[in-house]
Amino acid sequence: MSPQLTVEARLRRLLAVLAWLSRRGAGTARIAEVAARFGMTEAEVVSELELAACCGLPPYSPDQLMELMVDDEEVQADLGPELSRPRRLSPAEGFTLAASARAILAVPGSDPDGVLASALAKLEAVLGRRESVSISLDDPPLLELVRRAADGSEQLRITYYSASRDEASDRVVDPYHVFSSGGFWYLDAWCHRSGALRHFRVDRIEAAEVTGESFVRPEGGPPATVVAPGPETQTATVVLPSTAAALLESLPTVSVTVEADGSLRVVLPVGGEAWLARLLLRAGAGSEVLEPPELVGAEVRAARSVLAGYG
Amino acid sequence: MEPAEKVDRVERVTNLLLVLLDAKVPLTLEHIVHTVGGYPESHDAYRQAFERDKRLLREQGVNVCVEEVPGRDVSGYRVDPDEYYLPDLGLTLEEQQALNLALAGVAMDDQVGQGAAWKLGVAESLRSVQTSPLAALPSAPALPVLHEAIRARRAVSFRHRGANRTIEPYGLLFRRGFWYVAGQDRDRQAVRSFRIDRIEALPVILEGQAFEPPADFDPAAAFPADAWLIGEGQAVTARVRVDPVHAGMVEAELGSTAVVARNEDGSVEVELSVVNVDAFRSWLFGLLDHAVVLSPESLRAEVVAWLQALGTK
Repeated sequence: MSPQLTVEARLRRLLAVLAWLSRRGAGTARIAEVAARFGMTEAEVVSELELAACCGLPPYSPDQLMELMVDDEEVQADLGPELSRPRRLSPAEGFTLAASARAILAVPGSDPDGVLASALAKLEAVLGRRESVSISLDDPPLLELVRRAADGSEQLRITYYSASRDEASDRVVDPYHVFSSGGFWYLDAWCHRSGALRHFRVDRIEAAEVTGESFVRPEGGPPATVVAPGPETQTATVVLPSTAAALLESLPTVSVTVEADGSLRVVLPVGGEAWLARLLLRAGAGSEVLEPPELVGAEVRAARSVLAGYG
Repeated sequence: MEPAEKVDRVERVTNLLLVLLDAKVPLTLEHIVHTVGGYPESHDAYRQAFERDKRLLREQGVNVCVEEVPGRDVSGYRVDPDEYYLPDLGLTLEEQQALNLALAGVAMDDQVGQGAAWKLGVAESLRSVQTSPLAALPSAPALPVLHEAIRARRAVSFRHRGANRTIEPYGLLFRRGFWYVAGQDRDRQAVRSFRIDRIEALPVILEGQAFEPPADFDPAAAFPADAWLIGEGQAVTARVRVDPVHAGMVEAELGSTAVVARNEDGSVEVELSVVNVDAFRSWLFGLLDHAVVLSPESLRAEVVAWLQALGTK
């Protein structure tokens, strides 16, 4: 039994297992096969099916219970056709399905009249409202080139603008995986200059060309696609005016404390002075960096450097 | 501790589902709790336990109908098999596979996505289909509720940034990392959009007359493309000079039509229509000292005053 699974998740899974057994008709299935198909351990399969074998209709006499005989090796089932029919989607499932299909169709280069589009049209006809979910993903100019290189395992030479340092530099990368998250496209790539795996924002790649070399992905598949702060990240403590609360919503913060005067004392990871400067400029008057010492005064430096352009 | 509590809740709910599906007439609460095992003895306790089970079933897409029991003045419960099963979608094998790939290719709510795949008849773990998602979408508890309200054409009310709103929802839109709902705001008598992660509690679907959405509503068109266009008030045209370092990126972002001048030093001048000055300033300062507002004078002065207030202690 998985103690971490909710009743909802177990019920959903059990009904799916029963539907699958029912579709196979009367006969036996190996416990190991059920376990592999539904992502369960064999012990879980046995215990959930034993539970189901006690389910049925009143008065719960043997002829009213589900026809399930379970042992450690296999399950013998004769469930009749009723349980095999697909069940109605819950609101959350219908939404997730429609949103997933719309998201894939929003990927630049998808076929708007392909198989997925026709599947979605049939689904939306049943779900009710057509076109009720609309997804648009960013389409940076170099996305197609970078995706093609990743698909073909072709090495790239890129000019990348680093927002944290406010400078562009050239590097050679092995593009592993391209994905969209939080409104931006990212490239997971092995960076030959730093000798490490890096996330790059595709819209900040100013130029890219294939080097003519190909690469081999490391064993174990691509790394998890979680946008993690880079290794150069440090933590800063800043005071921001109360009006800056909305700016913090989409930023990872360590802590936010509201001071007596309403201002916010925020501890957050920063990706360099240029990165922090954007936050301070947006937050405006009343912003001040307290720590670390080398970033103290960043708000004044940022304001003055931008003001210089106004002569 | 009552012995009834020892029954696994999954077993109780499975039995409840089978009984409700088999019922030709609505069953009273008392009939249900006495025939389906596992409910507590006392009235309040079994009533509460039944309500929880009913909610659980509804969350899984099972519509437990409440109807009057024929010949008796009490309400009863049953599940209509016609509503329980998914109507035949008529998907081809290729279409089914395309939907599975879409579910596997989008990281959203793994458990819910898996449940949808199972119901469509895929007896495999989605993770075995593809290991790396192509896109991640944030999920929020309000999303399925709003989607259901759009489907059922029911008004919803919710709290959004400290204010109560009642809207007739027309569509959901994902843009630049955030979900929005668009619809007719009943109080303001106009189409408005709301960021869903700023909705403070679950939206409530209002009972009553279904509304008729406009036939030609396009959620994508209901949202201005750029953040600085979202809001109320008069738009001003801002002219901004972007230095050569960022000229290419800004042109790619705004489109070539926004470029009104190309200077010899490689800088470009772009024009933006601005309604929301906060959003505009946020975009502008993202460019640090690579961009300068040229006009109108009022906006330029506003930016200068903002910077001076920050830069002088």
